[in-house]
Amino acid sequence: MDDALTIPLLACAAGAGLAGLFTVTAAGKRISPRAMGWLLAIAPVVGFGILVAQAPSILAGQTLSWSVAWVPSLGLRFSLLLDGLSLLFALLVSGIGVLVLIYSGYYFTPARDEAGSEGATRNTDARFFFYLLLFMTSMLGLVLAGDAITLFVFWEGTSITSFLLVAYKYKDKEARRGAFRALFITGGGGIALLAGLVFAASIAGSTSFAEILRQGDALRASELYPVLFGLIALGAMTKSAQAPAHFWLPGAMSAPAPASAYLHSATMVKAGVYLLARMHPALGGTDLWFWLLSGVGLATMLIGAYVGFKQNDLKALLAYSTVSQLGVLVMLIGQDTEIAFKALVISILAHALYKSALFLVTGIVDHETGTRDLRELGGIWRAMPATFAIATIAALSMAGLPPLFGFLAKETLLATATHPNVPAIVDVIFPAAAVLAGALILAQAGLIIFESFLGKPKSERHPHEAPVPMWLVPAIPAVISLAIGLLPEPEALATLLARAAAASYGAPVKVSLALWTGINIPLALSVIAIGVGTAILALRSRLRPLFTTLSGALSLAPLYDGALKAIDGLAWLATRVQNGKLRLYLAIMFIATGVMMVTIGRLSIPPLPMAEVGQQPALAALRIFLLLVIAVAALASALLKRDLFAILALAASGLSVAMLMILEPAPDIALVQVVVEALTLVVLVLALTRLPREQRERAFEFTFRQSHPGLVRDVLIALGSGAVMFAIVLTALVTRPRESQLTPFYEQNAKPLTSANDIVGAIIVDFSRLRHVRGDRRLRDSRPGHLHVAALCLAQSRRPRRRQDPAGQGHAPLSRHRQPAHFAICAGAGLADLAAHPGAGHRTHVVWPRPAGGWLHRRGDRQPGRGDVVCRIWLRGDQATPDVAATRRLHRRRLAAGHRVSHRRCAGQRDVLLAGGLRQSAGHRLLAARHVPQHGHAVRTGHLPDRHRQRRADARHARPSCRCRSRDRPTDGRNRHPAPARRSDPRRIQSGWPADNSTTRPT
Amino acid sequence: MDVLLALTISAVFAIGVFQLLRRNLIRSVIGLSIISNAINLFLLAAGVYRGEVAAYANAVGQRSDALPQALILTAIVINMGGFAMVLSMLYVLSVRYKTSDSDEVKGLTH
Repeated sequence: MDDALTIPLLACAAGAGLAGLFTVTAAGKRISPRAMGWLLAIAPVVGFGILVAQAPSILAGQTLSWSVAWVPSLGLRFSLLLDGLSLLFALLVSGIGVLVLIYSGYYFTPARDEAGSEGATRNTDARFFFYLLLFMTSMLGLVLAGDAITLFVFWEGTSITSFLLVAYKYKDKEARRGAFRALFITGGGGIALLAGLVFAASIAGSTSFAEILRQGDALRASELYPVLFGLIALGAMTKSAQAPAHFWLPGAMSAPAPASAYLHSATMVKAGVYLLARMHPALGGTDLWFWLLSGVGLATMLIGAYVGFKQNDLKALLAYSTVSQLGVLVMLIGQDTEIAFKALVISILAHALYKSALFLVTGIVDHETGTRDLRELGGIWRAMPATFAIATIAALSMAGLPPLFGFLAKETLLATATHPNVPAIVDVIFPAAAVLAGALILAQAGLIIFESFLGKPKSERHPHEAPVPMWLVPAIPAVISLAIGLLPEPEALATLLARAAAASYGAPVKVSLALWTGINIPLALSVIAIGVGTAILALRSRLRPLFTTLSGALSLAPLYDGALKAIDGLAWLATRVQNGKLRLYLAIMFIATGVMMVTIGRLSIPPLPMAEVGQQPALAALRIFLLLVIAVAALASALLKRDLFAILALAASGLSVAMLMILEPAPDIALVQVVVEALTLVVLVLALTRLPREQRERAFEFTFRQSHPGLVRDVLIALGSGAVMFAIVLTALVTRPRESQLTPFYEQNAKPLTSANDIVGAIIVDFSRLRHVRGDRRLRDSRPGHLHVAALCLAQSRRPRRRQDPAGQGHAPLSRHRQPAHFAICAGAGLADLAAHPGAGHRTHVVWPRPAGGWLHRRGDRQPGRGDVVCRIWLRGDQATPDVAATRRLHRRRLAAGHRVSHRRCAGQRDVLLAGGLRQSAGHRLLAARHVPQHGHAVRTGHLPDRHRQRRADARHARPSCRCRSRDRPTDGRNRHPAPARRSDPRRIQSGWPADNSTTRPT
Repeated sequence: MDVLLALTISAVFAIGVFQLLRRNLIRSVIGLSIISNAINLFLLAAGVYRGEVAAYANAVGQRSDALPQALILTAIVINMGGFAMVLSMLYVLSVRYKTSDSDEVKGLTH
């Protein structure tokens, strides 16, 4: 466990937080971009410093790791890993991050009035810094991740933040399109990557990279290997802009120059390369690995080099040369030789150095001249000598000329291409392609210098030299490129590169940074490449138009557009299906359920059982008669034309069900069924009277004048669901066991444990409440969400009241000030439900709702209905109380509180709200009344004595009731003194609400 | 008997589905109620054994199965609650949209 590993991440995250603060506060307006850049650069500086401090142990061959449990139930850990490969990338990310942050400050200061621009800063510049630091955090996390899921999270982070950065100038249509395209492709690849990583993790048995790399043999041997490797490669290649998905990278060039320099040269586009290099020890070494990566890499290298040469936009040119270089890197990973990985790490470093310098220089040119079009630039070296010098050094490195670092990169690439391990079929193609690409890249580098800096000015512009720090920033990587080539071999750097290559290769790799290795084939090929490149450069005025005409569709851009159109089409289709008509949805649901039951559920009608008549034929006959009545009455409710008759038929059907229940014999439910059926009847008829007559007549029209096809369709759906239901019911009835597992338990224990004779009542009232006593948190509240629904209904049902407004024509709008109130109710209720979620701990369960309720209470000004919800939320935590009596007590407390609050808040709504509370309390009472307790007055009256009374009662009965004791024992501190609340209730109720007197006054 | 029960339950269920698919929302509500009746009947029929006396602890003889009864009791009460809610929604819709035709209720207007 190395806690130091987290510091770079935390530093960048803190920097992002600070920048985020700048975007929303006034401080962001007062600080100039330059100051902001310098200030925020501290974050990556800290990260860089920490990483450098870790370097000695890495160079000594150690691997540092750090992890913390993330989702323990899934075995997920958030873990970081630092080895040679991570260190190389992390140093690049943080190091170039420092440069880019400082540079951005100057880039966003307008060029013309540099002296007086301090006050003109806008918060939008802070926004750029915010995005950039967020990206930096994600990128650092990506390269430091020691776990597949951790890596994926940061991977997606880079996709999203790079979207924000590319779309930074969001008013520009091209920027928006480019950003969306980049997100679409890299995000799609990200999904593939996730699937691939999950496959790999499930085969390896762990998501940690250490374990995945250890299980390399198992992964390669698995029959899922092609799938998982293909998915991971897809993710990596879309991210690293490999052909044919490379076209998003030039499109993303609408990002500001510092973002391009950072994302599109040094860091994000190398994430795919990093991932492939990371996974090589586990997945590499197979034929599929070689052919896929070499082929794609080769194609990308050539396409990038070819298309780049014809570009006129400096940044597009650089983008395509980056594509080409990324192709080189992927191709190198595809080779399974030691020298390839040596070339890989050298190329990564060399490219990051010269390409970031060139992008930053392009930014300077754009900043100072206002254009980056090669057709308008030219001859600016006089005005900008320092920039010109830096550009020249970087371009020479890009061209691969000695004595720059890029030369070494090209040499090792050529050495790899001519390595004897390369299969014989391609041993000509590889060197030839490498030479060709090298020549074209040299020509591209020449274009930058000759077309923009040298030559004659092509338009009337008066560029200035950039401020010193601005050109000093790109000078650093450029000079490093030069220094590595010129200085005697730096030991530490060579060791670092060797460690990085070894981590990726899976075996030690020797890296030497000597430029001169004697006269050999790579050198000869290099000379050829330089020669051809120079020739192409010399003939550029003739060749470039030729390239433009010859370049066909070398990308999948049309396919991309087609995919977008297809998605739009699907969306259109979805909105056609989802037309808001309830009946269509219902029909689809029923059909889908039926089809799934039959196909997936393998539902079939079981063999019909033999006809059996019980011992009492008369009873059986009565049952059959009742079944007939139920069915016929239901049918009548469908066929009868007047709604009233249909409702009566429904009631007849329901009452027949009650009769059947009596025959069971099940008197409890029969009683409830009769009551509910009667209530249903009354409520339905009442509802019918509330509907206007013309509305009902219209309803009658369209119900019974339905078109025949529609009727047939509905009947078919109904018959189909009926058949499915028949199969389900019959299967259930035929295959049900004849021995009950659970009922005997209830029958035996109902009496001793709950002192209730009625077993059904005991199950409902006591056994289902026992989960509270048992303290099983998973069971404690199995109804999350019902409060939320209630709140939503409350919010909705308020609205029609506005109908009485004189001006209102039906769809009366809710007055504006009310909406936040409703929202607050719903939000508060949702919050309370969240707190009551079974997974929440005691603290959230009990403590949370209080402040939430209190907050709503204070905010609740004159909002009807608020009081009820407030006190519900407030008392939410009390539902964790252990026993029935306490719950009942709480219901009364809730009533009293609701009354108190609602009395103050909304006198008019009082009856409605209190009726709800009464119903709750009475419902419990009804069920509890079926108990006939043998001892203790408490249960029948709904009151359990508080502690001292209980003790007295115990003494009197001399037979302590275990039940009362257990029930009276509070589980949490707040219920320890229920007495004051109870005592206070009657008084309040007397004053405010006489209705409760009869039910709650203690006897 | 099982076949008859299954036939009745499925017939009632089918009628409920048919009712639910009417355009008239009142009929849909009735359909919902019928479906809940069918489900209650199913639960009742799914009892492991049939008794001769009610499920009381002090009753003598073969008691009826108490467990499905407890489930039905819960289901009935919840159905009642849901029914009331649906009716109140119907009322709101009828006031706001001036119709009880489910096809005319598309999306939420303010």
